[in-house]
Amino acid sequence: MTLPPDGHPVQVRDLHVRFGEVEAVTGVDLVAEAGHATALLGRNGAGKSTTMRVLAGVVPPTSGEVVVAGHDVRRDPIAVKRAVGYCPDVGGLVPRATPWEHLQLSARLRRMHRTEPGWDQRARDLLERFELGDVAHRVTAGFSHGMGRRLSVVLAVLHEPEVLLLDEPFDGVDPIGVEATMAAIDDARARGACVLVSTHLRELAVEACSTVTVLRGGARVATASATEMSGEEGARAYRGLLD
Amino acid sequence: MPTAASWTDRPGRSLAEARRAVVDVGHLVRFRAGTVRRRGSAGWFALGFVALTSAVAVVPAYTPGAGDDGRAFDLLLLLPTALAGFFGLAVVSAVASGGGRELLDRDPGAVLPVSPTTDHLGALLLAPLNIAWLLQAWLLLGTTAYALGPSGLAAAQVVVLLWLAVATAVAQVVAWTFEGVRRGNHGIAGVRLVTLTLLGLALGLQMADALVTVLDRLPTRRIVLGMLDGVSGTWALTVATLLVVLVLAVALGAVPAHIAARRTPRDEQRVESGRYAARRLPRSDLAALVRTDRGSVWRAVPMRRGIAVLAIGPGAVALLGDLPWSTMTVLPGLVASGGALLFGVNAWCLDARGGLWRESLPVAPGTVFTARAWVLAEFLVAASTLTVLLAAVRAGVPSSAELTALVCTVLVVTVQVVGAGMRWSDQRPYAVDLRSARATPAPPLTMVGYSTRLAVSTTLTGLVFSGLARVPAWEVSVLVAVPFVCWSLARLVRTRALWVDPAARARVVMAVAG
Repeated sequence: MTLPPDGHPVQVRDLHVRFGEVEAVTGVDLVAEAGHATALLGRNGAGKSTTMRVLAGVVPPTSGEVVVAGHDVRRDPIAVKRAVGYCPDVGGLVPRATPWEHLQLSARLRRMHRTEPGWDQRARDLLERFELGDVAHRVTAGFSHGMGRRLSVVLAVLHEPEVLLLDEPFDGVDPIGVEATMAAIDDARARGACVLVSTHLRELAVEACSTVTVLRGGARVATASATEMSGEEGARAYRGLLD
Repeated sequence: MPTAASWTDRPGRSLAEARRAVVDVGHLVRFRAGTVRRRGSAGWFALGFVALTSAVAVVPAYTPGAGDDGRAFDLLLLLPTALAGFFGLAVVSAVASGGGRELLDRDPGAVLPVSPTTDHLGALLLAPLNIAWLLQAWLLLGTTAYALGPSGLAAAQVVVLLWLAVATAVAQVVAWTFEGVRRGNHGIAGVRLVTLTLLGLALGLQMADALVTVLDRLPTRRIVLGMLDGVSGTWALTVATLLVVLVLAVALGAVPAHIAARRTPRDEQRVESGRYAARRLPRSDLAALVRTDRGSVWRAVPMRRGIAVLAIGPGAVALLGDLPWSTMTVLPGLVASGGALLFGVNAWCLDARGGLWRESLPVAPGTVFTARAWVLAEFLVAASTLTVLLAAVRAGVPSSAELTALVCTVLVVTVQVVGAGMRWSDQRPYAVDLRSARATPAPPLTMVGYSTRLAVSTTLTGLVFSGLARVPAWEVSVLVAVPFVCWSLARLVRTRALWVDPAARARVVMAVAG
């Protein structure tokens, strides 16, 4: 990993993303540190998911500078994708592939069979931890929403990425799944990864992350510590930032 | 899971429910029309359709030889068989698509109080938006005009139009009945048994040289007799009978539609709840992508059912009709076009919402494109090969020129169709759920446009190679195939270059992810 001089694995400066006539992101600045989890909070349409897609190398920025794990997303998207583990906000699963086939595809394309010979055991452990072991060989088209979310988190953390991007990982997930996701975030932080969690569930965001960035109308409006955004006072402050 | 009849199914309520179902069709049609992306094109399409249909129904009657005792009379003798053939095609099409197309996709429609009667009527309305249906209908109208000439033409065409409606409505009844049976206990095996029995019966009749006799005695003869004398008593009786059958079939179709709606689609359930054994890690990135894409294709009910019909249907017809090798070159284009219409015209929709995750994987986008194009190509080649093998059973030993022409046709139409499919997939991606046998990869009008363009190009290619199969030197086919393949490959490479562009790719991925 080639970290920039200031060592931040995620650096976003004046990010703009435009789809035709719609500007989904209108100048986001963001810095996220290694070994920390940062929450992206905001209402629907605030630009959270689009920012996450840019960081994952899925959507190219229209303008601005985005550096992930030392790689410019515009110049070297493949290197960014190697460094990132991404759980998309919608679905995120190939409907007629099984969880195991998803894991195999990721492992193959990330060369995990060479770099981590025990990847398959780790994959099995993750499936068990997220209570997906018994459906590992069934196609995901028959999965419930929560099962799909849990598998998306498993796929994002499988290769122990330098930057973990989780977009709405708690959406529709049962308490066991939430616990497992929290544990996955803690594990990633503990090994020094940079974690970004996009959600509109403030309580879970402050529980999982140390820093909170609030987006509104496609731009960043505030960055605060999780402590400042927790409790009733934090709820009031957050509510004030949304309007 | 079958569900018991509800107290709300009382006969007293059925009339009000039927009226409501008809009104709902109107609402759904307006909703669907509102989602048409290019209204101007749709208007021109409708105008072109009316003009073309009118021309087909009238112009042949004023061409030399129309209504004479020569070729026109021969065509008149074949008309009952053609009418029956249209009915057969309508049945196969409706059965293969699990009861016909949906006015509203299943998942978004699940939260709305849309009754199976509305669904049935919607499927009937959408049935003509299918190139096979349209071509056959135009063929019948044109043949009737030429066979009868100008005298009494309008009256005859009224009968033909009514027959088109009746055949489609009755086919819909058959299709819902099949679907209801298919969703019952041992239903899938039962439907397969019935299909094989019918195919065997037709083959047996042909082997016993009795097929022509049976075709000569088809009840459609009476319909042709009813259109011969212009407006007359026989004509009026024929029209009245057809109208009664039409109304009955439309109403009756609601019954099996309700039965089918109460039962769970077993083949979809089997795919979604079945276990797929783990396999070894693929040896290369391309192999890994191809394996995933293959799973997406071959585990989808509409693709499995569609390809079985496409591969076996034309092959069986060729087998029964004793098609010679030189004419067999038309088949690969027909099958490849139909195969592409199952998913190839919107190839990225296979990933559906998984597209975003797949796009985050570290692999060259060109490799992803190659894998998708390869899987589409092998899907088409597998179907074409099966069709040709079936057709070849009674065709004897081909000459080297005939064999070369056929192989060249398979190669050329496959590259043509893959190129067109991948290009359209890039230009107009749609978020589509291909779980249901009734799903199509694009909206109905778009599908008609795609199928027309594919049918024209592949049929012309097939005719070119049909001519070349009669040329003694086999090398000529190869020489002609080279520029065809090069042109299509160049277009495919250009589409690949577009896909490699991150902004263009993001547009496609986000569209199919919904």
